[in-house]
Amino acid sequence: MNVAVSKGGRRTLWGLFGFLVVFLYAPIVILIMFSVNDRTLVSFPWQGFTLRWYRTFMQNSALLLALRTSAMIATVTAIVTVALAIPASVLFVRRRFFGKPFVSALVLSPLVIPLVVFGIALLILFNTLAVPLSPWTVAVGHIVIALPFAVLTLVPRLERIPAYLEEASRDLGASAMTAFRSITLPLMTPAIVSSFLISFVISFDEVVIASFIAGDEPTFPLYLFSQLRLPSRLPQVIAVAVVVMLASGILVVASEVWRRIANHRLERQIALVEGEEAIA
Amino acid sequence: MGRGQGVLTATGTAVEAHERAHLSEEARRARRRARASTLGLASSPVGYLVLFFLVPVILVAMYSVGALTLLPKDEYLSLQPWRDLLFGSIYLGVFWRSVQMALIVSVGAVLLAYPIAYVLALVAGGRKYTLLLLIIAPFLTSYLLRVLALRVILQEEGVVNSFLRTIGALGADQSIGWLYNSRFAVYFVLIYVWIPFVALPIFVALDNLDLALLEASSDLGASRWRTFRSVTLPLSMPGVIGAFIFVFIPTIGEYITPLLVGGPDNFMFGNAIQGAFLAGFDWQFGSAMSMFLVLVVMALIAIFGRYLNVRTVSE
Repeated sequence: MNVAVSKGGRRTLWGLFGFLVVFLYAPIVILIMFSVNDRTLVSFPWQGFTLRWYRTFMQNSALLLALRTSAMIATVTAIVTVALAIPASVLFVRRRFFGKPFVSALVLSPLVIPLVVFGIALLILFNTLAVPLSPWTVAVGHIVIALPFAVLTLVPRLERIPAYLEEASRDLGASAMTAFRSITLPLMTPAIVSSFLISFVISFDEVVIASFIAGDEPTFPLYLFSQLRLPSRLPQVIAVAVVVMLASGILVVASEVWRRIANHRLERQIALVEGEEAIA
Repeated sequence: MGRGQGVLTATGTAVEAHERAHLSEEARRARRRARASTLGLASSPVGYLVLFFLVPVILVAMYSVGALTLLPKDEYLSLQPWRDLLFGSIYLGVFWRSVQMALIVSVGAVLLAYPIAYVLALVAGGRKYTLLLLIIAPFLTSYLLRVLALRVILQEEGVVNSFLRTIGALGADQSIGWLYNSRFAVYFVLIYVWIPFVALPIFVALDNLDLALLEASSDLGASRWRTFRSVTLPLSMPGVIGAFIFVFIPTIGEYITPLLVGGPDNFMFGNAIQGAFLAGFDWQFGSAMSMFLVLVVMALIAIFGRYLNVRTVSE
């Protein structure tokens, strides 16, 4: 007998579950539907299939420029975030030191800071330092908020990699850096790719911080925001939203799946190695 | 050195003594090296966050009391912004409204996410991770674009109203008043956006549940409902509270959703702060509001921090 749920309860719960899945996906499906509706208003009635909204946005140079700006900011953000997240994750998993609680609180606190407040804080910082606002200043802010997500993606993977692998390579004469680069880093690759993509997507989507410190070059979300006042632009905004949504969704889900598979493989290999040791 | 020498006199021979001294020298060097490399590892992330996270927030605090001024109208060293905020401003009212709205959103999201997490953890069996990915996938795509999708659906000329007009349930110029630019719209959109995120920590709590406890409860004659109420639910409470706090905190400072679907009557504290900076150019007052929000968040973390299992964000 299943103690968690009765037969009738099971049916009800699955029904509720199905309903909520539909609820979560319906707006996305509706958005896709209306991005190909041949009508200048995003509404019923249905007036036939068209791809012209996709063509329109492909010819909108301001939109393409905003996309490029965001892609650049997101790339810089992802690279720097990963470069900071790798030492931070090694620190958390492999080191014990005085002040560790403080350091982990510092790394995780961007998760809970209200973004409006952080955007303002950066605005005041750059004003105080007389740094002109630009896509670079936006990247500076995005790195801070992406960092905890990147670290939290790397830590579980690093915890699965036994420290003795690196120690063995040290015993064989490798320097600390070589041991890390040739043993641990390759094993971390799936998580590094995930954290890169997560940082990229966070930055690409972020609008609150950018609204304070973007300067004259709008990012993609800021451009979208400015276009919402013009109903005639809505259909192409929706078309580009569909493209960006699907692309980021597929990318992140693919990397998640890959990361999970890689984790299972690593666990199996370690179990194998440790099993052989036990026999010997 | 003290302890090494103590061992030395106790055990004797010169050779051993030499070996030990050598060893401890080696060990100390290794420890020093480890400490140096720990410092090296910490320097870049900590340095970055101090410079671009801690310092900016401290600057806001300084700005809010006039220890730092940038605009001509800023008052040097003054508690006036704080006095204005805490005594007799309408903004404290906006804050309490935001707290109330955030409460409703968090409770709504938890209530809807709980059955999802329950099904995944205790009913779905072997398919649970695939289904979990199905649930969290929307969370991984753009927040802004999901809000935009709902705006397109809810607005006056939007999908719902135009559908009702097409089938004749609404007249040509009619639309449902409460659907858009309303409190309802803010609740609906925020709950929609948060559900996948809330389901995650609850799922982790339920997934780690020892099934033997449920069986024991059933063996002792409890009905399934009784087992749920007195075993499953209490044991999953840490996940529930964690999820609740994780939604509650950012929602108080919300700014995008009220702006896109709520309208000025339903603006939240985040909108008030943004307005002080970008519309009112009253940076000192805006900084006081910002610091006030930061202090509230810190207090909430101090009280509920132990329920925040941040690991669930990634696993």
